[in-house]
Amino acid sequence: MNTTSRFRRISVAALLIGAAAAMPALAHHSFAIFNMEQTRVFTGVVTRINPDANHLQIFFAPMNEERKGVLRSEDGKPVVWAVEMAGSAQAATQGVSVSSLPPGTYISVALHPLRSGEAAGSRAETGAIFRCPDKKAPEAGKHCDSVEGRLAFGEGALAQPKN
Amino acid sequence: MDLHDIALTVGNSGLGEWMRTNVRAMPIVEALHVIAAATVFGTVLVVDLRLLGLPDLKRTVTRVSGEMLHFTWAAFGLAVITGVMMFAANANTYYGNTAFRIKLLALAAAGANMALFHFGAFRTVAQWDSKQVSPRAAKVAAALSILLWVGVIFVARWIGFTKGYDFAVPDNIDLDLTIP
Repeated sequence: MNTTSRFRRISVAALLIGAAAAMPALAHHSFAIFNMEQTRVFTGVVTRINPDANHLQIFFAPMNEERKGVLRSEDGKPVVWAVEMAGSAQAATQGVSVSSLPPGTYISVALHPLRSGEAAGSRAETGAIFRCPDKKAPEAGKHCDSVEGRLAFGEGALAQPKN
Repeated sequence: MDLHDIALTVGNSGLGEWMRTNVRAMPIVEALHVIAAATVFGTVLVVDLRLLGLPDLKRTVTRVSGEMLHFTWAAFGLAVITGVMMFAANANTYYGNTAFRIKLLALAAAGANMALFHFGAFRTVAQWDSKQVSPRAAKVAAALSILLWVGVIFVARWIGFTKGYDFAVPDNIDLDLTIP
């Protein structure tokens, strides 16, 4: 094997390794656990962010339709939902982080719920997350994207509810 | 300042922020952590097996441990550094994770076992250095060491699958939407 072809082989190998390193950002596991046909839209109060390396999760207490309080179960405990997305570093490229959406923040997010019925869902292809200005809840039935001074994290409008 | 505060401080540090927001940081640090853990376990295992009378008996116990322990300590240092980096990325979640807590306890137990052996049975090593059969205390320490390090690896891997969904609401969040 002469030097040129060895160099070519090394270059091809390096390219393949580089491509493989870039893969996780593009191709990940399937979304089979989520009902991708259904879209639910929530406005709620952030309770916790889990900046997990594989899937960042935002936990929030959804507000009632009047936007005057949060949904509570019969025993008075707040209902809490989780929305999960790409890993913390990917989410950070859209500005989603522990510091940009601290606990107590009002947000609006659309998600595809888990098929299992648990109160969690995927944010895949549901548009941006909208953050209301501090302590400013939207009007009844509306979301943070309608409030002046709101911030958008990610691309696109808030997805519409479906099914 | 309690342990939780320390964890939060580590998580809120620049290191934590960098680990959370850099796309390449976590996979690289994680890979280094695996290499470090493999080296620690591999070298510890060689010494433990020698104490149990299994590998090449032409080598004395002190020669085997002398050759291996440099690698053990260097790799352990790398494991601690990369471990702290990964912890910083999501300190609050790891802090509350049961598998993570068991892992730290198992690590402490493995360290205590090693210290007990070093200051106990190992002091008389000159008498049994080249023999196939080590004293019972040395064999017990070796077997315990293998069990504990296997345990560390198992619970460590468990962390990755148990760190999600915690729906608990912290007390200090206003859910009555009080307008200031």
